[in-house]
Amino acid sequence: MALFLQILVVGLTTGAIYALIALGYTMVYGIIELINFAHGDIFMIGTFVSIAIFGLLGIGTNSQPTGWWLVAVLVITCLGAMLACAVLGVVIERVAYRPLRNSPRIAPLISAIGVSLILEDVGKLWKGIEYITFPQIFPDKDIRLGPITISTVDILVIVVAVILMIALQWMVTSTRTGRAMRAVAQDREAAALMGVNVNRIIAITFFIGAALAGAAGFIYGLKYGETIFFIGFQLGLVAFTAAVLGGIGNLVGAMLGGVLIGVIESLSTLIPDSVLPHGGAAWHLAIVFAILILILVFRPAGLLGQQLPEKV
Amino acid sequence: MSTLMTNRMLLPARDTRALLVKWIVALLVPVAVFTFVWSGEEIVNAVISPGTAGPNLPTDPVSLIQSAIFIALFYLAVIVLAGYLVAADSGRRGMLSLWLDVLIFALLPLFLVMNIGLIIGLAACVVIWAVYFFARNFVRKARHYTPPLALPSLGLLDAEQRAILMGRAIAGGFWFATAFAIVWLIADLVYFFTGSLPPQLLIWVVIRTLLLPVAGYFLGRLAGVLALRRTLSAHANGNGNGGDATNESTRRISKRQQLQVLSATRVREEAKDLVPNDLPLRSSGAQRFYLILLVAFVLFYPILDPFLFGFGTDGRLASFGDAGRYVILALGLNIVVGFAGLLDLGYVAFFAIGCYVWGMIGSTQLTNVLNVAPIDPHILSWLFWPMLLGAALVAAFFGVILGAPTLRLRGDYLAIVTLGFGEIVPIVLLELDKYTNGTNGIVGVQSPAFFGIDWSIITPAPYYYLILALIALSIFANIRLRDSRLGRAWIAIREDEIAAASSGVNLVNTKLFAFGAGAFFSGVAGAYYAAKLGGASPDNFSFNDSVIYLAMVVIGGIGSIPGVIVGALVVYSINELILAQLDTLASDPTNFMFFVRSAIVHVIPGFTFGNIRNLLFGIVLVVIMIFRPEGLIPSARRRRELRASTEEAPEMGSLDVMPGTPGFETEVRVE
Repeated sequence: MALFLQILVVGLTTGAIYALIALGYTMVYGIIELINFAHGDIFMIGTFVSIAIFGLLGIGTNSQPTGWWLVAVLVITCLGAMLACAVLGVVIERVAYRPLRNSPRIAPLISAIGVSLILEDVGKLWKGIEYITFPQIFPDKDIRLGPITISTVDILVIVVAVILMIALQWMVTSTRTGRAMRAVAQDREAAALMGVNVNRIIAITFFIGAALAGAAGFIYGLKYGETIFFIGFQLGLVAFTAAVLGGIGNLVGAMLGGVLIGVIESLSTLIPDSVLPHGGAAWHLAIVFAILILILVFRPAGLLGQQLPEKV
Repeated sequence: MSTLMTNRMLLPARDTRALLVKWIVALLVPVAVFTFVWSGEEIVNAVISPGTAGPNLPTDPVSLIQSAIFIALFYLAVIVLAGYLVAADSGRRGMLSLWLDVLIFALLPLFLVMNIGLIIGLAACVVIWAVYFFARNFVRKARHYTPPLALPSLGLLDAEQRAILMGRAIAGGFWFATAFAIVWLIADLVYFFTGSLPPQLLIWVVIRTLLLPVAGYFLGRLAGVLALRRTLSAHANGNGNGGDATNESTRRISKRQQLQVLSATRVREEAKDLVPNDLPLRSSGAQRFYLILLVAFVLFYPILDPFLFGFGTDGRLASFGDAGRYVILALGLNIVVGFAGLLDLGYVAFFAIGCYVWGMIGSTQLTNVLNVAPIDPHILSWLFWPMLLGAALVAAFFGVILGAPTLRLRGDYLAIVTLGFGEIVPIVLLELDKYTNGTNGIVGVQSPAFFGIDWSIITPAPYYYLILALIALSIFANIRLRDSRLGRAWIAIREDEIAAASSGVNLVNTKLFAFGAGAFFSGVAGAYYAAKLGGASPDNFSFNDSVIYLAMVVIGGIGSIPGVIVGALVVYSINELILAQLDTLASDPTNFMFFVRSAIVHVIPGFTFGNIRNLLFGIVLVVIMIFRPEGLIPSARRRRELRASTEEAPEMGSLDVMPGTPGFETEVRVE
């Protein structure tokens, strides 16, 4: 039982990161019906930018800032990574997706794959092909809460993720821009007729989604301590599965899906060698994809989505 | 009639003379460059008198026969082409602009390929051509140039005009051959007097100089016949023109072609085929000659390579053998993505399955797993041929299985699911290492066996011919599939599923068939690859490869068969050849590329040309999607879909007015 709870906690932390990335996927898909293949790579760029900002602030792998300075460093880096990724997201939308808004669906999809390739190579050229270590500046202590052990970094991850998700939910439900975003997602032309500047709203959507990915990159680096140019692809795919599981286009669904996928992944490490060779851990990608396929076959709208009939 | 013909031939009329000058110079210069500068003559001399061939050149009887066939095909095709183009000229293209085109599109590639190698030469050519197109369009816009419409010159030919056409063709063939014979004679005399021509060849020189004009006459006649088949001719009028068999056939041809003319939606495309078209690059009549020349070149390439490029034949052949598997993969993916419109991002999975099937059967792996005695290697080699089909069928079976869950999904979800499969299958192959030997992969896979050919993983030539045969079969299969009911069903599904289902297309079966057919070809490529590599390991199969296959199809032209072949070759060259060669050039300190790379390394430390491969692909994909989504060589249907028609459609007269008569082009506007 304790093991089970522990696995749950581990799943929650990874799930929080997946949820942040999944939010970006789901927002973009909800608004322009495009699967943004490049989103995972924006996350990867977020990790790289965080490292760069640490370098600019003079934080090496061995320095240990404390107190207010630590808080300030964390906040600055997080905001910096979010801003850089947000700008990158807007630029990508402007250059690679907007010219193709009226093309058949395959065109922006292939363009997205192209952008993903470009970003991966930019990452490779920027930081090389080896794993890059993240400065471990956050004091990493394990706290025991009854049967489970949780580390302070995990708490930070969950806290940051929850704050951002609450902020996003507030923004989408209570502000004018949020309302405009929901309007454009529902019916683009009608929203335009109502006076919504559709281009600007789409740009804002990409801005926010990419900012969330940047934040996810920051906390991923803090938790796992290292990054490399190809993490964007796999994590992006798992996050997309999470978005689909929760119901694509649905923000709460993305959050829920992220957490669920995190938990399922941790649970899969329990699968013994006898059932799957090399134990469940080596197969976790395959398990996640199997889940994706099952959802798409049996309930394509996801857990919280609505089944929309396809109109002729 | 024939005496008239002879007079006209030897003393052609003034306009024919101008045409002759124009075309003979245009064609003679590239042919002369090939013959005298790029060892065309060397090949001929090696065939005629093998003892005088240079040290590294093949002189065994098989190679000599192959070289002889190639040379015969080449020169005969060029002479017929000359006759055809002279006949097909309609005067819309000036002499100088034609010569400029020949310079840029024929001479430039010859020189670049001769001097800097086949692949980099062609790559440089492509860049220069792109610049040239851009500059030419710019100049044309500045001078308000309007291209001449094909349709106004669509005229009916009566008997006298047909005779003139035939006369021109004969004159073209005859005078081209004569001019070429004279040039060659002079060159050979120069060689003889400077001592580089062995005296035995003098007899050949004399024979050739006498033979070529005669051949030219008859080949010109053939060219005339071919040109005439592509024209419209008048109805036989009531009295007939001495109604005989030729009149019958012309009546039959003209009716079919008239129907094509009157089909309003295809008039502009068909007009290209109906009139003798003198834009040499786009004339579909001349294109068949280019195809003959290209096929002859590709078929006899292993023999020609030592003449043309010197050392390193084996390496080049091996890399072309590798390129061939990309072509087959592109053709297979074209079925799924191009014909049926199902975006498949996991295509590498089927390729992996094909590889592993032959890998496991063609080596000791399967017998190890099943604990039976291993099969004698000689028999195992012969097993390749049935297993080629077997691997393809197994891959097709898995294609159907993996396609089944995706049937109800739309484009984006389909892409992700297939991507998932593309990831799962290599993981499965990696982890089930009791059967597949895990990360080490399978080694010791047998090469195929054939009568009398010594075949192993290090002999490139048999693999080259094998892949050519497989490509030919695949192209044939694809064309038949595309033009069949199934192919049309795929296209219907691609355009609008619900409409297709309402018209009676069985969605489930058709989609499964698409996946199966696509996977079939990748199974073939997989078996070939496993045999050529001698092994199969999971490292060869990753999502990156799936993206490359998709890039091949997209860059070449989705749904167009010649397009994806060109796309496959382009992507392969960029992927394997160009960047690698740029890297080797850059490591040579005396080379220009060295400075380029040093300059870039100052700014970006991790830079090598090989590293930026994905960057290049990504940029190319995005740029192509934005500016030319129909790809390099689009299928005609795609071009209509993806581009709004910005050019002026030709006006066509009312449908019961014959083309050529006065009221023809007044009323109906073609959409």
